Order: sequence, then structure tokens, then C-alpha cells
Amino acid sequence: MNNKLNLLVTCITLISGCAMISEAIANPELPQAAQLCVACHGTQGEGIEPLGPRLAGLSKDYISSQLKHFQTGIRQNATMMPMAMTLQGDAIETVASYFSSQSLKNDVKPVIRGEQVSFDNETARLAYQGDWSRDIPACVTCHGPSGIGGGQFPRLAGQQASYLKTQLLAWQAGTRKGDVDGMMANVANKLTTAEIDALAHYFANLK
Amino acid sequence: MKSSAIFILAALGAFTVPALATTASETNKDLPDRQAALVSSPKSDAQTYLTPRPLSAIPEGAFGDKVRLGYQLFVNTQQLRDKYVGNELNCANCHMDAGRKANASPLWGAYFAYPAYRKKDDKVNTFEERVQGCFNYSMNGKAPAAGSPELVALSAYAYWLGMGGLMDATNMHDPVPELSDAELVKGAKREDFPLPQALASALTVEQRAKLPGRGYPEIPKPELAYSPERGKAVYTAHCQACHGADGQGQAIAGVYSLPPLWGPMSYNWGAGMHRINTAAYFIYENMPFAKSIQLSNQQAWDVAAYINSHERPQDPRNKGDVKQAQDKYHNDNDYYGVEVDGKVLGTAAYPVFPKKS
Repeated sequence: MNNKLNLLVTCITLISGCAMISEAIANPELPQAAQLCVACHGTQGEGIEPLGPRLAGLSKDYISSQLKHFQTGIRQNATMMPMAMTLQGDAIETVASYFSSQSLKNDVKPVIRGEQVSFDNETARLAYQGDWSRDIPACVTCHGPSGIGGGQFPRLAGQQASYLKTQLLAWQAGTRKGDVDGMMANVANKLTTAEIDALAHYFANLK
Repeated sequence: MKSSAIFILAALGAFTVPALATTASETNKDLPDRQAALVSSPKSDAQTYLTPRPLSAIPEGAFGDKVRLGYQLFVNTQQLRDKYVGNELNCANCHMDAGRKANASPLWGAYFAYPAYRKKDDKVNTFEERVQGCFNYSMNGKAPAAGSPELVALSAYAYWLGMGGLMDATNMHDPVPELSDAELVKGAKREDFPLPQALASALTVEQRAKLPGRGYPEIPKPELAYSPERGKAVYTAHCQACHGADGQGQAIAGVYSLPPLWGPMSYNWGAGMHRINTAAYFIYENMPFAKSIQLSNQQAWDVAAYINSHERPQDPRNKGDVKQAQDKYHNDNDYYGVEVDGKVLGTAAYPVFPKKS
């Protein structure tokens, strides 16, 4: 989706999302600073595909750092830049705290690395063992068992496939940055389009 | 991989491999291994590295089960926590791609390099004795007994990786021959090691012991003497995003895949990695993760000095006197017994083989 279309869809959603916002306001836990987020990300950060990815299950550190990346353009997104700019002062921490503390429905049971030795499914193998012939490490090394995420490493398990895909493509395109020494860009740049698609679906559908 | 054997032979012919200088710290008769400096292999653009077979090629049956268990112990060594492991590390933290990657101390390189005689302790170490050293020092634990299922499994995994790779390079695509447990734990650097005839005639024992890519490639000493102060800046810029400002790594779902680099949950003062040179070689070649060779030679030494100038678990060879242990084991390229920030490192060292709290 190009940026203009993205913005248009967002505007329409914001208007049609008024009812949802009213409902959200009724939720006493929802901080005022987060009210603008819920139209696309859901009242509990559960995500609304394809408008906004799931925020529940992401760490507070990760959410706040990404909001700052949107504000500074390290992470380029025509919709999120103005949205993030509305959060000044303590509001970033407030929003990050709120969404990171939301519980996940259908949480995965993390599979510890090594539990499975060989994989028939090439995508699962890439996720759990990487492909070091191309210097691609296992996704789970940084993102944790089953990609459940932690700290600065976002949760992949249960995230929307469309979002995971656009992000890997954004790393490739250089419109998403902010990783120390370009470590994530380095991995993303080695993945084929087919692998990106397959990995996005793999993590999105992990049970 | 077609002409790989030829490339390997050519690479071996082209280089003599300098042994790293041995030091006074390599004298110990109390433990089966004193974690000597790793033997490294020089790099060359022309060389081809052994490629292990994919894990899906591990055969069915009892022998394959040992190989599989070896892999599982190697990547999830924490399943041995409190039994043989006393920190939060896994073997795969220092051996990239589960011990399969060249220039990251691959298991296949080590397997063909043992048994090895070490004149300083006047003893030949078998492969399992070398692995016992890893448990005593790198894992800050207590090594499994000789012939234990764990050591057999780790030996079987190392053997299978190396033998499969060498066989493929020699265009022998048969299954890897099965070996008895007693043969497996010894290692392959011996005239009586059972090998398929074609392989035995392709490479001598010495050539197999010096496979390109084994160990971490040695890098030159830095221009300026290594400095923890400069290393701290390198650490902040390049390392702490993953390993944390406090060097304690990160656990997700109870598993540290981003390992603690110092403090009570990391390797102890006897581990090879506590040496500035060994850590610098590893870091230069393998960090930042999956990028390799991003830091300058100087940065690698400086950051290795910074990491290794922190307190960590005690050297198990210490008999209660840091100075004595320093004199005996730590005279080269390390900070044990050295004063840093007003404290003598080693005096406040953390316990050896603590129970997981």
C-alpha cells in the first residue's frame, strides 16, 4: 500500500472509528494519550488488519523507541509520523506502558531452540536455525523462542502477516532503520521475497 | 562442494599454521583441561571450508539419536543446568550455527584436532577431555564423567559434522560410518582412527587436524595497547543493544540467547574467552551478530579488554589465593589479579558452579 493510500484509509478509519473511540474513552484504563491509537490498533492494542499492527505483547521499551523513530523519521511512515508527533513529554511512556501491559489472547507456548532437530518445513528451519551459508541467523536468536520478543526485539508470534511482510520489505528499502549496526537490515536484505512472505505467515500463524 | 577436497589440500599446502604462544597459565594437573588458547587457522580468499551435512541427514537409529542429542545439548546446554552447567550460557553462544560455522570454532574442526598432546601439562587430551574443559570453565560448571551419555552425544555430533563434510568433499556421499562410544570420545587425530579408505588416503592425520576455518582466526596485536576505557565506548556503540549496558544479556522465555558477558552468570576466570586475545579474535570475526568483521582490529581488542576487565566467577583452580593463582595461570593477556578501578579482579569473584536460584 502506498503512503497516500495509507493515509487516506487511515483518515476514513479515524472518522468511522469515532464510535470505537467513544467506547474506548469509556474504558477507564485507556490513557487519554492512547485514544488516538485505538482506531487502528484496537482498544487493547490487539491490532486491526491491515490498518494497524498488534501492539499488545510488545515491550514498553520497544513501543517507546519506535514512537521516537517515527517522530524523527528514522522509521518512515506517512501515517505514523503525524500520529507519533501528537505524543510529547511523558505521553510516549504512558502509551507504551498501556499497550505493553495488555494481555494477549491466544498466546503461544514458546518452543525452546533445540527441541526440534530437523525441519521438513524450510520456513520453520529458517526461523529456528537460520541459514548460515548466507550468514542469516535464526530469527529466534534475537526475537526469542517462537519469536515472542522482548526488550528491543519485537514480538513476531501472532503478529499480522501483512505487517510482518511490509516491515521486512521496509528494512530492505531502507525506510525502516534504527537497528544498531544495521543488524536487522543485514538479515532482511538477504531474504528473498518468497522467504519474506513465508516467514511472515509462519510467525503470524504460530499457535 | 565438488573440488573442495582439493581446495582444502591446497589451502593446507599454502600455509603453515602458527601455534599460538603457550603461556605459564597452561600448567595445571588438577583438572583434565586448562583451557589452552585456541588453535586458530589463518584465513585466505582461496580456501574452501568444510560444509557439514544438513541436520535432516542425521540417520535414524541409535547412532543418529546420539548425534541428535549432541546437537540438542549444544544449542540448549541449559537443560544441563545445575547438573553440569553453572551459568546462563549455551555452547552455541560462542560456536556460531550450532558449531557448524567456519571461523567460529566449529566442532568439526576441533574433532579432528584431538587427541592432542600438550607438553605443558605433559598429557594428551582426548576430545571428551577437551569438552570437559568447556564445562569446567566456559560453562562454570562441573564436567560430566568420562564416557557419560552427554560427552558421547557431543562427540557423536562433532564427529558426524566433520566426517560427513569430509566425505562429501571427497565425493563420498554414503552415510557416515557408525562408531562405538569408546571410539567417539577419543577424537579423530590419531593414526588408528577408523576412516573410509578413500578419505584416509586423501588427507593425512595432520592435515585433517588443521582444517581451514577451525578455531577463531588470529588477528594481529593492535597498534595501541588494548584499553578497557576505549573498549567501553566500543561496547556502548556496538554491543550493548544486545548484551545490555550491564553486560548481562537478555533472556526471553527463560532462555538467554543473548548471553551475559560478565558477572555471576557468565564464563569463569579459567575459560578461554576470558583472555583478551581469544575474545578479540572471536569478536572481530563473529560480531556484531551475523555481520562479521565490522569492527577495526583495535576496536576488537579494546572491547575484548573492556568485557574481560569485569568480575566473573572464580577460576576453579584458585586454591584461596588470587595472587598465587595469577602467578600460576594468568600471566598473559588477561585481567585476573590485576587492579581495575581500585579493585583487584579475582578477589570478589562469583561462585563456581552455583545452583540456579
